Amino acid sequence: MALLEVTDLKVHFPIRGGILNRKIGEIKAVDGVSFSIERGKTYGLVGESGSGKTTTGKSIIGLNHITSGTVKFDGVDLTGFKSEKSDIRKDIQMIFQDPYSSLNGKRRVLDIISEPLRNFEKSSKAEEKKRVQELLERVGLSPESILKYPHQFSGGQRQRIGIARAIALKPKLIIADEPVSALDVSVQAQVLNFMQDIQKDLNLTYLFISHDLGIVKHMCDEIGIMYKGRFVEEGTKEGIFNNPQHIYTKRLVAAIPDVNPVNRQRQKVYREKVEEEYQKNYNDYFDQEGLAYPLRQISQSHLVALPQKG
Amino acid sequence: MHYTETESMVTNEEKVPSLAKIIWREIVRDKVALISFLFIILITSFVYGISIFLNQDEIVRVDLFAINEPPSENFWLGTDYGGRDIFGQLIIGTRNSLSIGILVTLMTGIIGVTYGLASGYFGGTVDNIMMRIVDFFLILPFLMIVIVFVAIVPEYSVWTFSLIMTAFLWMGKARLIRSKALQERELDYAQASKTLGTPHWKIMFLQVLPNLSSLIIVTMTLNLAANIGLESGLSFLGFGFPEDTPSLGTLLGYARNPQTLELRWWIWVPAAVMVFLLMLAVRNVGEALKRATDAKQRRG
Repeated sequence: MALLEVTDLKVHFPIRGGILNRKIGEIKAVDGVSFSIERGKTYGLVGESGSGKTTTGKSIIGLNHITSGTVKFDGVDLTGFKSEKSDIRKDIQMIFQDPYSSLNGKRRVLDIISEPLRNFEKSSKAEEKKRVQELLERVGLSPESILKYPHQFSGGQRQRIGIARAIALKPKLIIADEPVSALDVSVQAQVLNFMQDIQKDLNLTYLFISHDLGIVKHMCDEIGIMYKGRFVEEGTKEGIFNNPQHIYTKRLVAAIPDVNPVNRQRQKVYREKVEEEYQKNYNDYFDQEGLAYPLRQISQSHLVALPQKG
Repeated sequence: MHYTETESMVTNEEKVPSLAKIIWREIVRDKVALISFLFIILITSFVYGISIFLNQDEIVRVDLFAINEPPSENFWLGTDYGGRDIFGQLIIGTRNSLSIGILVTLMTGIIGVTYGLASGYFGGTVDNIMMRIVDFFLILPFLMIVIVFVAIVPEYSVWTFSLIMTAFLWMGKARLIRSKALQERELDYAQASKTLGTPHWKIMFLQVLPNLSSLIIVTMTLNLAANIGLESGLSFLGFGFPEDTPSLGTLLGYARNPQTLELRWWIWVPAAVMVFLLMLAVRNVGEALKRATDAKQRRG
């Protein structure tokens, strides 16, 4: 059974205005998204800015109100879930995008990492300190840094503090919301490899949100491509990268830079061809509002949002 | 651990000064603020220190043989129309006025910060309702209600006066803090705390509040100056303390008598100078604090 099952998730934000602040419309940030993640796997949620990937992640963990649809975690429905102090909260954790704003600058590392421990486990100060030191060591920081403040660390180190906080309660699922996009490239690889290491050690499941296809290719087993709140294509890593069906996905895949300079010219020609195809066939692949069509299965593990007429 | 090596290389050991240190540096740099700060410390310790040894009943006792005497060796600042020593009244009056100023500032601070924090943090409907309550308090005619209260309160003391003023002065702070709390709650650290299962009140007071500390310190200081002035104003108009509880305002109030105003300067000039200097000094320090919290305006 899948660890996380999201069915027809919709998150709509009201637009208020006019007299008496009435609801005059809504933004469909997430508009009918379904996917499931197997235990121990990494699911990549890809899309451009504003496509609703972060909103999807945040609504799973309960930071955004879910308009309709169900989110099942380990067989338990999370929608309409109110209680904060429950084990479900403990089992889903989040790594935030910005390592600068996600750590409270007025608190010491000890307080930051022990926050989840204090909420769920009643342990003595000494035990707590020991746990935090273990966690720091686990993420590759020196255990002596517990009394430091976040501003005394670099971006990559801060992100690792964020990861230490997220794994403190030994969660089953971690929602990683662009965990490396605020870091520079040399540090990105460090943090990503580290995330893979702890995934193996702790048998973690990741929901990996990113706009960087290279990273997604490196990290994920399955991928969902989002556009304007809907999925345009979903499938295994191989299926998406080797056999993209939707023109939007094709364009995305074509945009991945090739490291080999010999292929540069060929790559450029290919990109231009795909771009031309995208412009020409845009109306075939998207409906009148510019939204993707419902997903259709084209193989065992590959779903594409193609129009009904095919 | 294979990361420890890189870690020690990039560890940023640079010490960022604490808020207290930044504030102190700013005050020392600004000579006017420094003098003001020392003046406040001096006056407060002097006034509170001396008033322990002064007997209020003794000072406000009417002495018909020493009416309206100019400054002399016996009475350093002369006496008023009841033969009461002005110097003693000035000391106790300053103490009372300062006490009211500090009490009102603290109480409005606690109420305003808690209220604003809750309103801003929860947002939405809660915020809407709480802010409409604030609006209601804001449209009440403050002076008129205070005057009515003064008339009906049986026992009039520093405490009752402070409570009455507090009831109508907390709204500004609540609105200010609310606007900042609205911003803070959207930041990732507050959201992260929610996902970690931290209860709301803990996020509000242990996470968001420390991030607003500089703002709170600055507004409280600037409010202190305003509150000292407000007390003096009300007492001057005759709605503050009775004559047996001296305050800076009651001393100023004697100047409503044209003869006192023109001929007996020693009764009201010292109090006027004291109010002026106190408010000015607190304001100067407040302005320095304000600059200290904004890196762009700092001089130190």
